[in-house]
Amino acid sequence: MRSLLLAVLAAYVVAAIHSVLAFINKRRSLLRVSDLALAAGFVLHTAALIADWVVDGHYPLFFPRETLSFLAWTLVAAYALVLYRYRARALGSFTLPLVCLLTFVALLVRSGSDATKATGLSATWLFPIHTTLLFFAYAAFFVVFVASVMYLLQERELKLKTFGAVFHRLPSLTTVNEIATTSAVTGLTLLTVGIVTGMLWSSARDGRVWHNDPKEIFAALTWSLYFLLIVYRSTARWRGRRAAWMGVAGFALVLCTFFGARLMGGYHVFG
Amino acid sequence: MSIVLIGVNHKSAPVEVRELLAFSDQACTEGLRNLIDGEILREGLIVSTCNRVEIVTAMADGQSREGTDRVTNFLSDSRKLPLKLFDRHLYNHTDADAVMHLFRVASSLDSMVVGEPQVLGQVRRAYSLALEAGTAGRVLNRLIHHTFRVAKRVRSETGIAANAVSLSYMAVELGKKIFDSLAGQTVMLVGAGEMAELSARHLVNGGASRLLIANRNEDAARRLVQEFGGEVVDFNHMAPHLAQADFVICSTGADEYVVTEALVREALGQRRNRPACFIDMSVPRNVDPAIGKMPNMFLFDIDDLEAVVTSNIREREREAERAELIVQSEVMQFQQSLRAMDIGPAMGALRHKLQEIARTELGRQRARLGELTPEQEAAIEALLVSTVNKISHPVLTQMRRSFEASDAETLQSLRDVFGIDE
Repeated sequence: MRSLLLAVLAAYVVAAIHSVLAFINKRRSLLRVSDLALAAGFVLHTAALIADWVVDGHYPLFFPRETLSFLAWTLVAAYALVLYRYRARALGSFTLPLVCLLTFVALLVRSGSDATKATGLSATWLFPIHTTLLFFAYAAFFVVFVASVMYLLQERELKLKTFGAVFHRLPSLTTVNEIATTSAVTGLTLLTVGIVTGMLWSSARDGRVWHNDPKEIFAALTWSLYFLLIVYRSTARWRGRRAAWMGVAGFALVLCTFFGARLMGGYHVFG
Repeated sequence: MSIVLIGVNHKSAPVEVRELLAFSDQACTEGLRNLIDGEILREGLIVSTCNRVEIVTAMADGQSREGTDRVTNFLSDSRKLPLKLFDRHLYNHTDADAVMHLFRVASSLDSMVVGEPQVLGQVRRAYSLALEAGTAGRVLNRLIHHTFRVAKRVRSETGIAANAVSLSYMAVELGKKIFDSLAGQTVMLVGAGEMAELSARHLVNGGASRLLIANRNEDAARRLVQEFGGEVVDFNHMAPHLAQADFVICSTGADEYVVTEALVREALGQRRNRPACFIDMSVPRNVDPAIGKMPNMFLFDIDDLEAVVTSNIREREREAERAELIVQSEVMQFQQSLRAMDIGPAMGALRHKLQEIARTELGRQRARLGELTPEQEAAIEALLVSTVNKISHPVLTQMRRSFEASDAETLQSLRDVFGIDE
């Protein structure tokens, strides 16, 4: 499905370039192109994932290539949702370049060799659900991260009264704050259900729910941090800056969870 | 025909001169009827606003010198103002320059405050007056419609009108950066100075739902309440009201801090860390600057507002550069369409003349062809017409080409060869 993924990449690159240019030049006419290209890319991408699933015979979320491609796909979905709900265009200028990068790397990485193992693992339906939920949680946390960065940039401009280029281009503090809060709640819900399905799958497989492996530890830390973030936000003790910094720190943990296991080894290394 | 624009604006003439030259609506239509004679001055319209008086005319080719003199004399006669008093303030643009100038005016690139929206309405008004006077014809209709298109394009494709540039509107602008929308927000006025009143007006018009007014002199506060609605609150016990206010606009004549840090700290607990925006319009300042350092509190004094205004003006100027490019390309397009329009009748006349020859010849020879079915008859006519068209096609193409190259000589000789005069 390389050629299909190439077409996906092309569409995403067009969308990203137009989105960034629209952000810089504030030209609304470019956004239409960006939206159309993104929609086309997303449809093709969905088709590519389904094709992978049918051709390779396992859920397309196992080998590095599939993982990256799937992650890009969830990011686009998350961005589309935020766009639909909040019209926060600026988010695209941060998200879409990353989507392009992920898709590009996915194209470079060789597809996995040990297909039987993948087929075996995804035979039980719990495993694909576990991974899918977690990937959507990652995407939600990425949105929290970007919204938090936007909050910090915007707040800085307002406090220092510099009113530079960023000031005219970012959405209001309330909007980014809302995006961050909603995404954090969504992300935490997905993470919780994802972890629980993982535990169920694991206990069905070898009777243990906890293996003390790095990925699990980081996931637990991530979970606690976002839980705290939401609790603090809802009790209104931490709002604004502090919550935003927490959103940034949380994403660092997410990255550790995502890459950490690969570097440190453990139960969660399959491919 | 050539388009000539003559006039004064806020850059070329002081207000003393502009006000003497200004036209009322009625003076516009009457003046246009006198000015446009249909010979040398074929079409005309007058744009008269507080910043400009401009007369746009379409003149017969080769008569622009005479036409220009007539327009300046008309200005002098109708305004009863000796020419030497305003002659040196006049500018005079012809064809592409005139079109460019009008496009820039309507797009608000030539305004005192770049991007202000009124000028387009004023141009529209000038056009409807010209229509009323019956002095807008083929050329001006096309020019004005193109002008509206350019203005719309500039407005939608650039941000020249995007950011506020007035001090009192800044509260709304900053509020939108913090709260997104003003709907449902509470505004509190501390002191009832003129600037604060103006800002409050903008905020209420922008959708703010509640207005609290605290003033030392409660009578003045009540007067404002009568105008805007809202409620008067106790100036000496502000803390509970501050807790409710999302916007606090302060302008009292006091020479110490009226909104103190202690007062806001007290309010902060009740606000549950919801953000608030303080705007201090007074000199000396009435809001303790320390408040701006507290989390989720945003404080802007008069200098900060000036800074945003400056930044917005700079932003508009950057956008204006892009708008100029749009205008330039549109001027080129308009010139092209105008040229195509001018040659249209000549080309039509040529085609018509040749086809007429074919039809007359057919009529002359028709009797010799004997009995024909209607289809056969139609076929013969179609054959002749298409032969004529095939032959005239390269001629028409050449006409258009020399027209676009402004090659008047070739054009004239082609006209002469086929004997067509407009």
